Amino acid sequence: MKVLVPVKRVLDYNIKARPKADGSGVELSGLKMSMNPFDEIAMEAAIRFKEAGQASEIIAISCGTQACQETLRTALALGADRAILVETDEALQPLAVAKLLKVLVLREQPGLVICGKQAIDDDANQTGQMLAALLGWAQATFASRIELGSDRASVTREIDGGLETLSITLPAVITTDLRLNEPRYATLPNIMKAKKKPLETLTPADLGVDVTSRLTLLKVAEPPARQGGIKVNDVAELLDKLKNEAKVI
Amino acid sequence: MPFIEDLAEIVGPAGLITDPSDLAPYNTDWRGRYHGDAAVVVKPASTAEVAAVVRACHDHRIAVVPQGGNTSQCGASIPRLGHGEIILNLSRMNRILATDWDNDTLTCEAGTVLATVQNVARQGGHLFPLSIASEGSAEIGGIISTNAGGTAVLRYGNMRSLVLGLEVVLPDGQIWNGLRGLRKDNTGYDLKQWFIGAEGTLGIITAAVLRLFSLPHVRATAWVALDSPRDAVALLGYLKTRSGDRVTGFELVSRSALQMVLLHIPGSHDPLSQPSPWYVLVEMDDTDPGSDPHGVLESSLAEALRSGMIIDAALAQSEAQADTLWALREQISEAQKLEGISIKHDISVPVSRIPDLIEEATARLEAQYPGIRLLCFGHVGDGNLHYNLSKPNLLDNAAFIEQTLAVNRIVHDTVDRLGGSISAEHGIGQLKVDELVRYKNPVELELMKRIKHTLDPLGLMNPGKIFRTTK
Repeated sequence: MKVLVPVKRVLDYNIKARPKADGSGVELSGLKMSMNPFDEIAMEAAIRFKEAGQASEIIAISCGTQACQETLRTALALGADRAILVETDEALQPLAVAKLLKVLVLREQPGLVICGKQAIDDDANQTGQMLAALLGWAQATFASRIELGSDRASVTREIDGGLETLSITLPAVITTDLRLNEPRYATLPNIMKAKKKPLETLTPADLGVDVTSRLTLLKVAEPPARQGGIKVNDVAELLDKLKNEAKVI
Repeated sequence: MPFIEDLAEIVGPAGLITDPSDLAPYNTDWRGRYHGDAAVVVKPASTAEVAAVVRACHDHRIAVVPQGGNTSQCGASIPRLGHGEIILNLSRMNRILATDWDNDTLTCEAGTVLATVQNVARQGGHLFPLSIASEGSAEIGGIISTNAGGTAVLRYGNMRSLVLGLEVVLPDGQIWNGLRGLRKDNTGYDLKQWFIGAEGTLGIITAAVLRLFSLPHVRATAWVALDSPRDAVALLGYLKTRSGDRVTGFELVSRSALQMVLLHIPGSHDPLSQPSPWYVLVEMDDTDPGSDPHGVLESSLAEALRSGMIIDAALAQSEAQADTLWALREQISEAQKLEGISIKHDISVPVSRIPDLIEEATARLEAQYPGIRLLCFGHVGDGNLHYNLSKPNLLDNAAFIEQTLAVNRIVHDTVDRLGGSISAEHGIGQLKVDELVRYKNPVELELMKRIKHTLDPLGLMNPGKIFRTTK
C-alpha cells in the first residue's frame, strides 16, 4: 500500500511570530523555517507502517515556493521514498491545497493519506477534511493511535472527556495529533541518501488546479499587550482598587 | 546585640533575616553538601548599604560570606560552622543599570540573575554568551567570583573574558568604582582581575560591566556518535579548520551519561537507533542570516563519516529538536543527582591531552576498583571534563565513596602530570582547599596569600575558602 504524506514548510515552532511592519502578513525573512510539527508526526507514522511491512512506498508532497524543497529533503531523510513539489508563489489556502492533493491522489492511487491535523502557522485545521470530502473517502481526524488492517483502519482520537475509536474503510485520510508518536531525528547517512532520492516538481497548472485565493487577507496584527498584575499591600487597598479602578464591586 | 541592631539600621527590616527557618535555605548549598550556621543573613539593596554592612562587620571583626544565587559547586557560598560568620546575600541588587548597544556592553548589579542578563541583551538584539545549567538562579556577582565557564567558552571565553569593569566593596568598607566599559585600558595593574575568580575572598563585587556580542541568527546542531574521545578531539580540529570560529559548542557525552538521562528524565529519547560508546553535541552558529551553518555542518560531518572519524549523527531539523538535543546534555547533572552519590571531578587539560587523560585515569582506576562506572561529559572544546565515578550497586557504592581521597589522588595526579587543572570551572570553595595545597606551585600559592593579606589583612572576607585560614 502506498502512503501519501503532505508536509508543510512553516515558521519554526520555537521562533516567535511577528507581524510585518505594514501588517500585510507574518515576518518570515531570515527566520528559521521547519516542517510543520504535526506533519513530522504524520511522517513518522508512515515510516513506522513501512518498517512494519504495512506500507510499500511513502510519497511526501509539499505545495508552495521552491524553498519547500528543503522540507521535502527532510522528509526524504526521515524515510520518504520520493517527493513531489507543487511549486507556486501564490499564497495557498487549505481548499487550494486539498484540490492539488486530490489530483495527486488520483494519479498515485495511495491506500492512505496521513497528514498533520493542522499547520502551526494558520491553524486552519481544514486541509485533511477537505481532501477527504473532495475524494469521497473516509476520514479520521486527530489520531492518537492508528491500527492498519488490510481494508480497514482503527483510529483512536482524543475527544473531550476521553478517547473515541473509529473503524474506517480504506482508502482514507487520517490526520495526526501530538500524542501519536515521537518523531525521529534525521541521521547523517539518511540525509546523504536523501539527496539521491527522486524529487518531482510540478505546477498547479500541470495538475489543472486554479489556486487563486478566494479569501483576502486584510491585516495581521499583534494581539493587544496584556497588562501585568500588581501587588497590593493590604486588603483595604485591594478593595479600593476593585471598587474604584476595576469597578467590579 | 548591638551588631545586629547596626545591621538593621543599615538595611531595614526587609533586608535582615534572623528567623532560623528562614535562614535554612541560605545556610545550605544546592547539593546539600555544606551546612552553615550563620545567625544572620543581610540583604542590602544598594552598593552604599553593602559598604555600610561591610564596614560594620569590619568594626565588629565579624567575617562575611558573600552569596548570590547560592548555586556554588564547591561550597564557597556557605559559611563554616562555629565561626560566627554572617551571610551577605546580594539578590535584592538585581537592577540593570545601563545598556550601551554601540559599545556592546551591559551594566548590572551583582544580584542580577544570568538569565535576565541574557534576555535583556537578546531583546536589544545582542548576545550575552555565558550559558550554564544553573542560569535561571545563578547571579552575576557569584558567576564573576567563580569565573564560571559553561558551554560557550570555546567561542566566547569564560566569565573573565566577558567582564570589562567592576564595582567592588573592599574589606574595610571602601567602594572601588571601576565600572569602565573599555576594551583597552593599560593604566597600570588590571585590578578587576584580582576579584574575578576570587570567590569573594578579596571583596564583594556589587556591579559589573559585561561584554555583549552580535546575536547569532542561525544555528545548526548535531548529535554525533563516535568511538573514542580521541576521535572527538580529531573531529573538533577538523570542524574548526572547516568552519573557522563558527563552532560554538562541542560537548562530549559518554554512553553511561546518556543512559542515565534516558533512565531518569521523563520524555527523553536516544537520538540514534544504535548505541555508541561516546557522543558529541556539536553546535555551529552564524550572525549572518544568509549563511548556511546547516550546510557546513552537514557536509563536514559527511566527510568525517566517510573517513571513519564518526559512526553516525542526528541533525536537528528544527529549533525544537536542537533544544531537545541540548536538554540531553544539560540534564546529565540532574539525572546524576537522581541516580545517587558519586565522586566528581571538574578537571581540565590541554585539549590535545583529553584522550590521554581519560585513557590513563580510567585504566588506573579500573585496576584499583573493578566494576567502577565512569560518567564522563564536558566541554571538550575548552579542555574541561566532568569526570565522575560511582559503582552501580548501592552497597558497593557506599564503600567506594569512602575511597574519595584515594580516587581523587589517582585522577588529580594524572591531571597534574598532563599539565592540567584540578578545578576547571567550579572553583576551590571549601571542597578543594587541601587539593589546592597539594597541586599548586608553592610560589604561586604564596603570591596568592600575599594578595589576600594585602587586601584583607583581618581575614574577614569569606575566610576558609580557597585557603585554610589561621583566623
